[in-house]
Amino acid sequence: MSELLASALPSRARMRRTAPAVVSAVALAAMIAVCASLQSDVLTVGGLTLVLSATVPLVIAAQAQMVLMSVGDIDLGIGSFVGLVTVVSATTLVTSPLLGVLMLLGLVAAYAVLGALIHLRRVPSLIATLGASFVWLGLGLFILPTPGGSTPEWLASFGAWAPAGFPAPLLPILVVALVVYLLTSRSALGVRMRGLGSNPVALQRAGLRPLTSRVFAYTAAGALGVVSGLVLASQTGGGDVSSASSYQLMTVAAVILGGGSFVGGSAVPWGVAIGGVTLGLVSVVLSLLDVQSNMQSAVQGVIVLAVLAGRVVVGKVLR
Amino acid sequence: MHVENLPAASSQDPSQGPSETPPGADRGPRAGRPVVVAKGVTKTYGRTRALNGVDLEVRAGEVLGLVGHNGAGKSTLMRVLAGLESCDDGAVLVHGKEVSGEAGPRAADFRAVRMAYQETSLCPDLTIAENIWVSSRHCLPRMRWRRAASDAVRGRLDEMFPGHGVTPRDRVEDLSLAQRQMVEITRASLVDRLDLLILDEPTESLGPDAARSLYDYVRRLTAAGTAVLLISHRIREVLSVADRVAVLRDGAVTAERFAEGLGEQDVLTLMGAHVAVPSERERAAAAHAAEGAAERPVVAELRGATGPGLREVSLRVGAGEVVGLAGLAGQGQQEVLERLWRPVRRDTKVLGTRAYVPGDRQRSGVLPLWSVAENLIVTAMRGLAKQGIRRPAEERAAVGDWVERLAIRGGADAGITELSGGNQQKVIVARAFASTAELVLLDDPFRGVDVHTKTDLYGLIRQEAAQGRSVVWYSSENAEMAHCDRVYVFRAGRVVAELVGEEISEERIIAVSFAESESDGEQSNE
Amino acid sequence: MNIRAIASRPWIWGFAAAVLVWLVILTVSGQGGGQTVSLALSLAPYLVVVGLGQMLVITAGPGNIDVSVAPIISLAGFVSVGVAASSGSATVGVLAGIGVGVLIAVISTVAILGLSVPPIIATLAAGLVASSVTLTIATGFTAIPDPGLRQLLNVRPAGVPILAVAVAVLTGLIVLLLRRTVYGRSLIAVGQNRRAAERAGIPVARVIATTYLVSGALAGLTGALLAAYIAPSADLGTRYLLDSVAVVVIGGTLISGGRAVPVGVWGAGLFFILLDGLVNLVGWSTAAQNLLKGGLVLFVLFLAGGGDRAGGTASRFRRRPRTAAATTTTTGDNTHG
Repeated sequence: MSELLASALPSRARMRRTAPAVVSAVALAAMIAVCASLQSDVLTVGGLTLVLSATVPLVIAAQAQMVLMSVGDIDLGIGSFVGLVTVVSATTLVTSPLLGVLMLLGLVAAYAVLGALIHLRRVPSLIATLGASFVWLGLGLFILPTPGGSTPEWLASFGAWAPAGFPAPLLPILVVALVVYLLTSRSALGVRMRGLGSNPVALQRAGLRPLTSRVFAYTAAGALGVVSGLVLASQTGGGDVSSASSYQLMTVAAVILGGGSFVGGSAVPWGVAIGGVTLGLVSVVLSLLDVQSNMQSAVQGVIVLAVLAGRVVVGKVLR
Repeated sequence: MHVENLPAASSQDPSQGPSETPPGADRGPRAGRPVVVAKGVTKTYGRTRALNGVDLEVRAGEVLGLVGHNGAGKSTLMRVLAGLESCDDGAVLVHGKEVSGEAGPRAADFRAVRMAYQETSLCPDLTIAENIWVSSRHCLPRMRWRRAASDAVRGRLDEMFPGHGVTPRDRVEDLSLAQRQMVEITRASLVDRLDLLILDEPTESLGPDAARSLYDYVRRLTAAGTAVLLISHRIREVLSVADRVAVLRDGAVTAERFAEGLGEQDVLTLMGAHVAVPSERERAAAAHAAEGAAERPVVAELRGATGPGLREVSLRVGAGEVVGLAGLAGQGQQEVLERLWRPVRRDTKVLGTRAYVPGDRQRSGVLPLWSVAENLIVTAMRGLAKQGIRRPAEERAAVGDWVERLAIRGGADAGITELSGGNQQKVIVARAFASTAELVLLDDPFRGVDVHTKTDLYGLIRQEAAQGRSVVWYSSENAEMAHCDRVYVFRAGRVVAELVGEEISEERIIAVSFAESESDGEQSNE
Repeated sequence: MNIRAIASRPWIWGFAAAVLVWLVILTVSGQGGGQTVSLALSLAPYLVVVGLGQMLVITAGPGNIDVSVAPIISLAGFVSVGVAASSGSATVGVLAGIGVGVLIAVISTVAILGLSVPPIIATLAAGLVASSVTLTIATGFTAIPDPGLRQLLNVRPAGVPILAVAVAVLTGLIVLLLRRTVYGRSLIAVGQNRRAAERAGIPVARVIATTYLVSGALAGLTGALLAAYIAPSADLGTRYLLDSVAVVVIGGTLISGGRAVPVGVWGAGLFFILLDGLVNLVGWSTAAQNLLKGGLVLFVLFLAGGGDRAGGTASRFRRRPRTAAATTTTTGDNTHG
């Protein structure tokens, strides 16, 4: 009976789903415009490289967060985890590369185990990852009590890489988004993960083990966290376990800005790329606008709330 | 591509499907071999014994109708037959082979047994094609599965539900209820080899056309040798489609009959008088109440309420009146309750306080960590308290009173989750009536509740109404409406009839709910 | 001892662990244990106060957490010291600290209820605002804590700090609040099943709002007292984010909501403070401290498990077959509405 009525729906529904990313994209464009009007160099390749480079590790960490949020979990430990990776890559990876690589792989495995335990013990991911963040922090301080060290040459040269034709930071952002898109939105594995976030009962009835899906998601998140940490280390040229502590909440905000949701089930890699860059640019704009550094975090908080408020309004209009 | 190995029945010539033949023409005893057999299956959950020695045989090429009132154990039996749950005692045989106790849906034995769930088992955030992958991945190629799944589901949907109006790329959350049901049934049918298809209330949210084409397809399936187990509370529908009918009652199969020559009344008798008929006295009281309705002060009123799911609904509730909301499920009755519960719009006027009795106990009724007493008093607590401080003595007295009045087994101090479903429901009902609310809203609360409890609760509602309380009662069970003073029958968000006193009868309600259903389609396309 | 008996009194864990650590300290240091206890009792109350607020928030059900407690403590520290110095009254200072906590919580509450922002994002954003204000105030901050209040916080008749007694009374009041008041019962009902609570006529939004405001107020109080006891600084509250959650978890409060154990917060609080003392005594680094704390939280969390709500208290250690869980759950359609 309502077939005809419903056939008109999807376009509207799709609009509703992409609206948050579009809002973020508009905000992004506005911020670049503001930057350009304050500092005309921003629109050159060099300027864009400078502006964007700081956002790359955040965007990649946000992709990790997005993967976990697609199964309905939240990771509050990603900031310390990325920090720990910078520490490992500034110390062990330099002194004994093989051991360093093994350690990084071990960290990914630790994420997988964490995911398995969260699932088996039915523990809220929010609190478990908060606890884990202190383990990451402790490990980082253990290896490198004070910020320092130096990154391996290959990593440093990646950080310094500046091609002529396009801003270099765009490449990792787009490549990672593409990989995450293929993993979460196109592959069968992605269907399992989103299915877990969407309706675990259906998954179970079909004979798919939710545990496997969750462990996959945590493994992927751990791997992305490692990549994020490597990129961050390549930019700062050293290790600091608390260098990414703001990520634990910024990544969640980036996912929300990109159109993700807390209930799980949806994957929005492209939206996250836009949301992450938008969020990362806020501090650039604020410093160009000569906003006191003290007030920057408050402005960031207000912007996150404002965008979420905007989403509520847009959602109501499109309903 | 690999698609051709997916749809089971289309490869087996569907042209022999007797869709033109009148229903029932090819019925009668068939010598199909048994596909799935249940032998003395017993299953208990906590204190409740859901299945109590079920013997049932589903044979190849037949439609077996399974009827039984709510709580008879239908859903548990289906879960056991589909291999989702193991039984405590007894055995399930698939193709004559006994399936071990731990058999889950992974077991290869159950791969050819598929079930379409009433509440669907689709992931709302995934597309239709992705949902097909989740449930039928064994039969899909590893590469390019998306296209294979899309082709398969599109073909099957076209075959089963012409004019379905969905594409494989649509997300399930964007579909209408009817479309979700169609996709769910299609999902269940998509497998390389289908021996038994279990349909659980498949037509609940389907329109008449879709139901007809579904049953056409079911006949084609059985003609090709697949067995179909049909669970439905629409007995006429079951009788017109099924070859045999099995009656489930209190966790056991109490009767098995050939459908031919069986009438609706016969089946109802076999199921046991599952709905208490109001006594003469109550009837008289109701009739009397109806007469006086005109003079009663109005407690709640909807005036031309329009919104999602509602169109121009006007209704009135008088003090001390029991008003029924009837019709098929999901025609706007719950939206009316929602309006009355949260009267925020201008078209809704509610005087006085309200209490709500939810139908879905687990999701919106029970507070699982608390005892019976705590669950019962949580609403009334507010009224009893002084300046936000509770008064334990008064609360205890009220709890004792209600536990006794409704004979809640287990007593006040038992944990709520230790109680049987019926007793839990009593607590939820008592929660509402223990408060001082002037208007009590009932959201189909007596589904899955046993006969005795129901009779008790019906009596309670009349008693409370006699004391001046108003009740608005939505029920999916039309027979329950006989306990009301006035009944509004809903269809597609409109009130299509208002029945008073003697006019209220199951036949009348059914007649009004289904009448002119062809014109529904046009209306909803506005 | 019977494991069921312990499980039904979940607060025992914290106290047992505290006693264990205390015994270890006793053996390691070889000095009088009374002094250690007295010191622990003078440090633990700060953690307990903020932990009680966090406990109420977590009891409100899945997804509820207050991550703004840490920035609120830092901010309230500065505000209360500043106000006390300018007004000359320590009481006004403490009240100002509480007030500023409530003010920040108002931001969270408006975002949670008005904009339907998930609590973690809402409290995060409010916390960011708080920390900005803190940094602004901190630059060029010269006022010193009220000496009278500091003295009061250090008074220990018979080795028992007055503050500990006061906070014990506060804990008792919270126990009463949860048992004897309409608000307390409503909060617990909301935590068990939000939908059911709403249908039972509980004003869910008001209950949630009250809970976050109380948590903000308690964090503000902690900040005011802590600043008087130590000194205001921008990272005064930093450690209290994990610690407040940890004492709630270790204290036996159900992390999925619906059951609060105020007494357990005390046990877990003492345990944490004694553990700090032990780690300092042995001379471990901050790295080891973090590792130990994080590991402990995870250990307790995974040991106790969660989410198994149907079985009540006794079955916290018994796992239900997963298939049974499937029957009670339905598709998540409605969560999107």
